[in-house]
Amino acid sequence: MSGWERVRPSRSRLGLNFQRGENGTSSSRTVRLGRVQPQAPGHRTIYLNDREANQIVRFKGNSISTTKYNVLTFLPKGLFEQFRRVANLYFLMISILSTTPISPVHPITNVVPLSLVLFVSLVKEAFEDWKRFQNDMAINNSLIDVLQDQKWERVPWKKLQVGDIVKVKQDGFFPADLLFLASTNADGVCYIETANLDGETNLKIRKALERTWDYLAPEKASEFKGEVQCEQPNNSLYTFSGNLLFQKQTLPLTPNQILLRGCSLRNTEYIVGAVIFTGHESKVMMNAMNVPSKRSTLERKLDKLILALFGGLFIMCLIGAIGSGVFIDRKYYYLGLGESVENQFNPSNRFLVATLTMFTLITLYSTIIPISLYVSIEMIKFIQSTQFINKDLHMYHIETNTPALARTSNLNEELGQVEYIFSDKTGTLTRNLMEFFKCSIGGDVYGTGLTETEKGGAQRSGIKIEEAQKSANTAHEKGFNFDDARLMLGAWRNEPNPDSCKEFFRCLAICHTVLPEGDESPEKITYQAASPDEAALVTAAKNFGFFFYKRTPTMIYVRESHAEKMGKIQDVAYEILNVLEFNSTRKRQSVVCRYPDGRLVLYCKGADSVIYERLADVNNDLKKSTRQHLEQFGSAGLRTLCLAYRDLSSNIYESWNEKFIQAKSSLRDREKKLDEVAELIEKDLILIGCTAIEDKLQEGVPSCIETLSRAGIKIWMLTGDKMETAINIAYACNLINNNMKQFIISSETDEIREVENRVSRISYLACFYLSKLHALSKMQVKKELKKCLEEAQHYFHVVSGPKSALIIDGKCLMYALDPSLRGMLLNLSLNCSSVVCCRVSPLQKAQVTSLVKKGARKITLSIGDGANDVSMIQAAHCWHWNKWAGRNASRNGYASLSKKYPELYKEGIRNAFFKWRVVGIWAFFSFYQSLIFYHFVTTSSSKGQNSSGKMFGLWDVSTMAFTCVVVTVNLRLLMICNSITRWHYISVGGSILAWFIFIFIYSGVMTPYDRQENVFFVIYVLMSTFFFYLTLLLVPVVALLGDFIYQGVQRWLFPY
Amino acid sequence: MSSNVPSSSSGGAGSADSGAPRRNSKRPKYSKFTQQELPACKPILTPRWVISAFMLVSIVFIPIGVASLFASRDVVEIVYRYETDCIPESLRSDKVGYIQSPRDKSCNKILTVPKHMKQPIYVYYQLDNFYQNHRRYVKSRNDEQLRRPGQVNETTDCDPEDSTNGMPIVPCGLIAWSLFNDTYSFSRNNQQLTVNKKGISWKSDREHKFGKNVFPSNFQNGTLIGGAKLNQSIPLSEQEDLIVWMRTAALPTFRKLFGKIEMDLNANDSINVTLQNNYNTYSFNGKKKLVLSTTSWLGGKNDFLGIAYLTVGGLCFFLAMAFTVVYLVKPR
Repeated sequence: MSGWERVRPSRSRLGLNFQRGENGTSSSRTVRLGRVQPQAPGHRTIYLNDREANQIVRFKGNSISTTKYNVLTFLPKGLFEQFRRVANLYFLMISILSTTPISPVHPITNVVPLSLVLFVSLVKEAFEDWKRFQNDMAINNSLIDVLQDQKWERVPWKKLQVGDIVKVKQDGFFPADLLFLASTNADGVCYIETANLDGETNLKIRKALERTWDYLAPEKASEFKGEVQCEQPNNSLYTFSGNLLFQKQTLPLTPNQILLRGCSLRNTEYIVGAVIFTGHESKVMMNAMNVPSKRSTLERKLDKLILALFGGLFIMCLIGAIGSGVFIDRKYYYLGLGESVENQFNPSNRFLVATLTMFTLITLYSTIIPISLYVSIEMIKFIQSTQFINKDLHMYHIETNTPALARTSNLNEELGQVEYIFSDKTGTLTRNLMEFFKCSIGGDVYGTGLTETEKGGAQRSGIKIEEAQKSANTAHEKGFNFDDARLMLGAWRNEPNPDSCKEFFRCLAICHTVLPEGDESPEKITYQAASPDEAALVTAAKNFGFFFYKRTPTMIYVRESHAEKMGKIQDVAYEILNVLEFNSTRKRQSVVCRYPDGRLVLYCKGADSVIYERLADVNNDLKKSTRQHLEQFGSAGLRTLCLAYRDLSSNIYESWNEKFIQAKSSLRDREKKLDEVAELIEKDLILIGCTAIEDKLQEGVPSCIETLSRAGIKIWMLTGDKMETAINIAYACNLINNNMKQFIISSETDEIREVENRVSRISYLACFYLSKLHALSKMQVKKELKKCLEEAQHYFHVVSGPKSALIIDGKCLMYALDPSLRGMLLNLSLNCSSVVCCRVSPLQKAQVTSLVKKGARKITLSIGDGANDVSMIQAAHCWHWNKWAGRNASRNGYASLSKKYPELYKEGIRNAFFKWRVVGIWAFFSFYQSLIFYHFVTTSSSKGQNSSGKMFGLWDVSTMAFTCVVVTVNLRLLMICNSITRWHYISVGGSILAWFIFIFIYSGVMTPYDRQENVFFVIYVLMSTFFFYLTLLLVPVVALLGDFIYQGVQRWLFPY
Repeated sequence: MSSNVPSSSSGGAGSADSGAPRRNSKRPKYSKFTQQELPACKPILTPRWVISAFMLVSIVFIPIGVASLFASRDVVEIVYRYETDCIPESLRSDKVGYIQSPRDKSCNKILTVPKHMKQPIYVYYQLDNFYQNHRRYVKSRNDEQLRRPGQVNETTDCDPEDSTNGMPIVPCGLIAWSLFNDTYSFSRNNQQLTVNKKGISWKSDREHKFGKNVFPSNFQNGTLIGGAKLNQSIPLSEQEDLIVWMRTAALPTFRKLFGKIEMDLNANDSINVTLQNNYNTYSFNGKKKLVLSTTSWLGGKNDFLGIAYLTVGGLCFFLAMAFTVVYLVKPR
């Protein structure tokens, strides 16, 4: 936190490092989004196209490294990692102890297994890091065109420096965060795909400053000299503030001119840009959290268990040590305890005897903690993931030929214990495939067909639905799934409101920012749109006979069929006078256009709430019926938009246009002013109708989610979408239904907006006020949260009350994630069966995930497909990084896994198989068993053991006891198996057999130097007696009798 | 529907069975192992299962128990505790002083045979509170030295009984040093009963652990004498008392074989035992017992196994009955 404050006055490299260093801790603060991002006064100055000038500042290079180790640090760091495991540390201690004379065992017995374990783990680590290193190298060495001496030189990415001018070709990735200077496209625009950043596959438009458009050719570009003053590197993907000092003018820079590393260039031949942030300072890298070494809950629980075992061991050893201290006495003259006896047996100093014996005993009993524990667990998991998960036929997706792929074997066992699923929306729950599905024009609903949500709902209530016969003339293509002959092929002319229809179609065809691509024929054209919704709408217009085929900066060309007369096709050019762009606050988009005949019309489309506010007070019946339709569409899980228009007279327009131009050219608060100006004209609208778009869900999502929630798994949807969309999708995939109590915490409430507006007016003057804004907004959010929580608690007191859902947006989340409110948020959200977070940034996704993980100590699973989900995924316990359509496969697998017994799965969640109670029972029975072993074997061997009357010695009795232990333990293992395959028999039988083979050989050979010959021939002596066989039958049966009775009774009386 | 939209009917789990393997398919190969479909039995402890398991155990165990018990009951055992008896009453106030004094410490006792004892009758001595299993004691020997003639100087681990006056002790170590030295001789009707001391040790010990050409030297030559002395002209492999003694016992109360009387003893025979009470167990209040015992196929007199078998068998039978009743009264 304080890093930020301290950084502000400093603009040196030192300050930069400071910030980076503090970044980890201050992340909750630095992830300010939108306009509340505090502007760090400390800025960096970059001299573009001037390496020498930049050299003084020594910006970081563009090479990146994501490896954990290097050659030098590998051994110390890797060993450190290994010894973070309690067991390894413990065995290191034991190994050291065993080299001292107090040890009863040879050091080899401890050192060799430990080294083996460490070696295997280190090799694995090294291999993984090597792969990371190679990956980094590949990235660092990919080539990019850099301007050098009026030519484009291909240099590797890692050689890139801040201030360099680079050329990025079509489909190339941006090597660093770039300032966009020039593009081959007209108007200095370029299209970028940000899929790696936020997972959205639709293209985004970036526009260069007009003054820099010309610097495209290398000769020209080399003349470019400028100076950028901008913020210090930070991890906020959607903000950027800075100025370009160019030709003695100060030009403000916005995110619109910034091309972020990780994005790629589309539909543009090439662009020219200047490097601003490099390597680890680029925004995407700043967003990447450190690769955490994922340790599963099981592993952490094992650590605890080992501690408990160690506690037990310690107590055992303590008792033994005290006993030996008390025991030791010169009266046992046969022990030779003279004056010169070694310390460990010197009765003159009993305390020392006890202390040394303590260590001896610890060394001796060290095997109570199995050293192979982690290694065997890792091996099991490796086999699970490579053999079971990756080769599971149920997880195989046949259409894409993709088997499941577990990328890490670390977390398999967690999959069965997942309680919270965090899911991205786009591409994971939905296909991100928008289809025009229904519409309402002039009070009539068009479009038949049922949405998946409706189908799902009907299925649940047991109604059979007959799929309506598709009419023959249904046009179906990507983005258009509309089935109603009344609107097709000009049939709309016979509808009650043909004029409304015409306006509707024109609005669809004109009011958008879509770019057509390819041939100007309806079949071949493709639309490039900022969102798939837009493309769907334009496609719909095309299918209705209003084919938008060409756009110039000022004109839109539409091929209209049947517009004037049935069967007549004509090309109409509409002049686009103004575009009032869509943004999240406006939630609408307008276009002012002039018809060829001079008619001036404003077409507007947007969310119902904002459109209805701005409607003229006419035709209230239409409004009413349209609102009904909107609700109807909404509950069917469709995304709705309202369309409206307004005829403008030229004087109104002219006077408004002046204001608009003024606002557009203002340098300060341009967006805000534009918004205000837009308000002036977007009023007195006339409603045309509304559209309903279906965001196609992934196959089987609703049923899968239902199954999951029946299994008690809670699902959180974290999405960058706007709230309405998010809620719609949540409805569509059964995340929310109408029976649920919904708690909505939104920053769009009037209170918060008002607070924000009030403060933001003055905030530009002084940063100080920002904190005030925070405080105020926080208060507001706190109030909301409290209210919801109280309400929620009220609800939960009612037994079998309705399930509840929490919906919260990113901005509120930002405040709610503040440490003071965190608890409240957690409390509320844990009580909800589903939570939807909208407009969240990648980092917030991670924060939310770790909130639940740490706060609620529950196992979490993240599902996502884009790089924007990476942080969230890393924060969670386990993840499915679905690549491509593999997601379908994994979903299928999911469904089939848990479909059968969703309720049974709850058992797994409760983690019942690994509870302290269970551990206690095991401990109790093992105690019982050890008593049995000792007493049965010793008591029964106190007399002569065969007809020759010879007596057994120490080693005979202990070998007997150990044989019993081996047999018992292996049979016990067989007893706890849920299902026994031939492999179980082989391994259990093999273990017992291996012991016998070992002891046969070991007691059969004489090896002169390594040991005393105590065990020589022991087993043969033993096996020559009946006693051996009788004991071997008796002891395991008695030892297992306890477990058997316990299990039998438990299974009988408390099956579940 | 156009081709680029996957139809909802195909795909999914069901198609995996029917999907014909394509060229270059990444479809995992089917194997029972990877699909976790190996034939398996599920050991669910159903009542029937539990009851039959109990029944099986009781059916097997009760006969074994009966047989073991009979075997044990056949064994005749005479135990005589003598560590106090063998000290004259006047000297019992200072037992340690008595045992350490160089006087003649023989004592006599007449034992009556309760039942007919068939030969061979094994003679044991039983010590109590003697920790042959103590770590310091157990380690205090050198097997190399015991086994191989040339290894006289090999006295590692034997401290403090490794050497005397600079000469290595053979056999070295505390175990050998504290060799038991009470002796017993028996007579019936003034007729000596020979105690055969051959073959009282395990053959493997005799043949492999104690060398044929290793002879005792410097043994019990120090200031402190721990126990019996050894005849220096007899190799270790024939010093069976030592071999028996050096097979250390597991518990502080232990028996060791002293010899065999290869003659039947009749009921009510009076056996006159002459004991040489030399061994010091008085320092640590250890008991000493003389045991005469026959053996059965199962060994000495030990009811434990028989009783344990019978108990477990009976318990299982009882449980089987109880579960059956519960099962009949209140089936699941």
